[in-house]
Amino acid sequence: MSHEQADNHSAVVSSSERQVGETEPPYGATAMRLSLRQWAAVVLLAVPVMVLAPVLWQRGEPLPATPDYRIPYAYSEDYWLYSRVVARSAADKQIAVIGDSVVWGEYVTPQDTLTAHLNRQAAAQQLPNAKFANLGLNGAHPLALTGLVRHYATSLTGVPVIVHCNLLWMSSPERDLSASKEQSFNHPRLVPQLLPHIPSYSASISDRMGNVVDRNVPYLGWARHLRFEYWDGQNLPDWTLEHPYANPFALGDEPRLDDSQELRRPPVAWFDQGLVPQDLPWMDLDTSLQWSAFRDTVERLQSRGNRVFVVVGPLNEHMLMPGSRQRYQALRRQVEQWLSNRRIPFTSPPPLPSDEYADASHPLSAGYARLASELLADAAFQRWLQGGELPRSLATLEAERVGTSEK
Amino acid sequence: MLFHTWPFLIFFVVVMAGHLALRRTRFWLHWLLVASYFFYGWWNPLYLGLILYSTLLDYLVVAAMDRSRRKLLWLLVSVVNNLLLLGFFKYAGFVTENVDALLAMAGVAWRLPAPDVLLPVGISFYTFQSMSYTIDFYRGQIPRERSFVRFATFVSLFPQLVAGPIERAKELLPQLHRFPKITLRDTTDGASLFLVGLFKKVALADYLASYVDPIYATPDRYGASALLLATFAFAWQIYFDFSGYTDMARGVARAMGFKLMVNFNNPYLATSLGNFWARWHISLSSWFRDYVYIPLGGNRRGPWRTYLNLFLTMVISGLWHGANWTFVIWGALHAVATMATRKAERSHWYHHRVPVFVKRLLVFVVVCFAWIFFRAASLGDAWLILTRICMAPFGFEKGRFIGWSDPAFPLLLLGMVGAVWAYQFVYESRFARLLDTSVVRVVLAVLIILYLFTIPSSRNEAFIYFQF
Repeated sequence: MSHEQADNHSAVVSSSERQVGETEPPYGATAMRLSLRQWAAVVLLAVPVMVLAPVLWQRGEPLPATPDYRIPYAYSEDYWLYSRVVARSAADKQIAVIGDSVVWGEYVTPQDTLTAHLNRQAAAQQLPNAKFANLGLNGAHPLALTGLVRHYATSLTGVPVIVHCNLLWMSSPERDLSASKEQSFNHPRLVPQLLPHIPSYSASISDRMGNVVDRNVPYLGWARHLRFEYWDGQNLPDWTLEHPYANPFALGDEPRLDDSQELRRPPVAWFDQGLVPQDLPWMDLDTSLQWSAFRDTVERLQSRGNRVFVVVGPLNEHMLMPGSRQRYQALRRQVEQWLSNRRIPFTSPPPLPSDEYADASHPLSAGYARLASELLADAAFQRWLQGGELPRSLATLEAERVGTSEK
Repeated sequence: MLFHTWPFLIFFVVVMAGHLALRRTRFWLHWLLVASYFFYGWWNPLYLGLILYSTLLDYLVVAAMDRSRRKLLWLLVSVVNNLLLLGFFKYAGFVTENVDALLAMAGVAWRLPAPDVLLPVGISFYTFQSMSYTIDFYRGQIPRERSFVRFATFVSLFPQLVAGPIERAKELLPQLHRFPKITLRDTTDGASLFLVGLFKKVALADYLASYVDPIYATPDRYGASALLLATFAFAWQIYFDFSGYTDMARGVARAMGFKLMVNFNNPYLATSLGNFWARWHISLSSWFRDYVYIPLGGNRRGPWRTYLNLFLTMVISGLWHGANWTFVIWGALHAVATMATRKAERSHWYHHRVPVFVKRLLVFVVVCFAWIFFRAASLGDAWLILTRICMAPFGFEKGRFIGWSDPAFPLLLLGMVGAVWAYQFVYESRFARLLDTSVVRVVLAVLIILYLFTIPSSRNEAFIYFQF
């Protein structure tokens, strides 16, 4: 062996290789070998930073005080910011209105959303304690909404909550996420990661576990907020690949959290957009994942002591083909039946005029105004606003519907 | 199951709990074997049949060798079996492709059927580890291992199963004879190693991959500056990826009381090519030294034979990395460069007159040059990259001045790689003690932890060496 060992060629290993019989092999090629005391010091330094960073950041970054504030679209997946907005609305004793982009206001500015109209009309009617907060989140289908309420809306405990029920999520297996074909969808981090099984959700076990951890560690939520704040919602490495020479911590000129002028899509009626009536198949409620998640959300809120009021629809029935409309109406009746059976106050307004819809479910500004006015005139809603819990029966609802159609 | 994923964390917690709970029983080894097989089967349970077959055969071969006078015959059975296994799963496609190309050149219309086999993860590592046992036993360097469970655990010990370090039987088997004494130092050392490895993989290797992958996927779309920087980035990517994996493997093993060998030792601070191989993938280079180079005659049969042995060893080493001519060329390039510089590297002038910094830079440039072939998808791509880079100083391509294009290399990434390189320079300088202070260690660890929690990778990349 001797002459081979002396041979300093490619196949010869230097002193860094462990010697036979040596009790303690070399540790490694860095000085990063921490003792127990040093590890303790690391924990003592890192943990306070991780606990304090989100708290201090909140103080340095106040939420805009604009009336009818809603989370800017670019921050739709910033659930840490969402939880801050929720906390503020609860502190302000506002009535929380939660739901998807119908509540958020896909085709209108923040001043023309359902909550904005409710606030204006309630103020005009001088209704006491009727301040509404827009806690809609773009793309928050019921499976996502259940995660949102469970993990990021805990400060809503005890607050009156209006939940919007958009039945469009139950219009097909794809929207219901019960189709066996894997697909990408909004807010995968909010949906149940393990149970119930979502056939359309294809994330790896590691990703699912990461999402579970993510929800439970506020620091991680704050770290994600940084992405939306500085890096267009991307991870820092990905952002630097697009902006190789830019300062990653430089804020732009625009006020980032302010959305007062934001209009996501042009406010055009559905038929002017070239949309045509559709033949949606509609799900069976017994097997619908989205319906199951919606029920879970309502029951969770009730178990937290929230007074819940549900607004079902109104969906754009003008955009449904006759057969599909019939199936939808049957489905809606089942939803109403469930709400009635569970003695949950609700309203199920008739469809708005066709030209007040921008697509299958989103009203335009005039539609929101009409909806707000109908809601404030609704007897069940008035009772609920005043603190009463008397739900309407299905018979009452039918009688009201007949009355409305006769008018 | 990758080290930097949540399932591994849970797996490790469960395995560690069982490991400690069974420490006073004779079942701790069985537990370790079951855990290792579970770890391996996580990728594909079918792979388990393969590792079990390889392990059983080598175990029986050594048992037969122990009783037989025809030891060489039994050794050949083991070596041929392992090489056939490796050959079938790793090189069948390569051989078929080349035979078909030769047939086409000869005008023969007949073609070999394309084998449709999936390369089992880690096969190159555990077959080499198992083979070293039979060879060492044949040489009389180690006793026969009579316990199949112990031998199977040696072959499959999960921290080092899929990407090394390729441990020798004389080092690892004795550690499996009794339950290891796990000290507090083992636990803190293991955590330190794991943290550094995690940072190398998640923060550095995956980040570098985001820059390298698109450029090397379509090199014809990029200019010389981007190709040059992508090659530089790949040099660091593969180092961070593989050494990060090794650090984590060693950390996990260390926490369980097992000590695995150092596999990387700041290779980009090497002052000669020989020195580079003494610092890069040490467990593999020493394996090739002991089981290929020396059996071929080493440097005992004159300079020309030494060169030939060196060349063969490096080319085989290249082929070990993958079934592609690019890997063969990569090995050959290293062999040629080592042979060409061997004399100069041993001269008084080189040792004493050439500044260390210059030596390191020269070695790094040569290694990067070879990496082009290692990383390129084909020889054509490698040639394209090389010609573009070589013409770059003049700004010409095909006789036309094209100038330098913006490489769009993130400054942050450059800064991070530069910081690590600087750290390594200091570590191997007379100022090394600076890094050894508690303040530096603690601050670095805190920064690493905060970085990992704040800026996780958006990619969940597998380790590069898994494919070998």
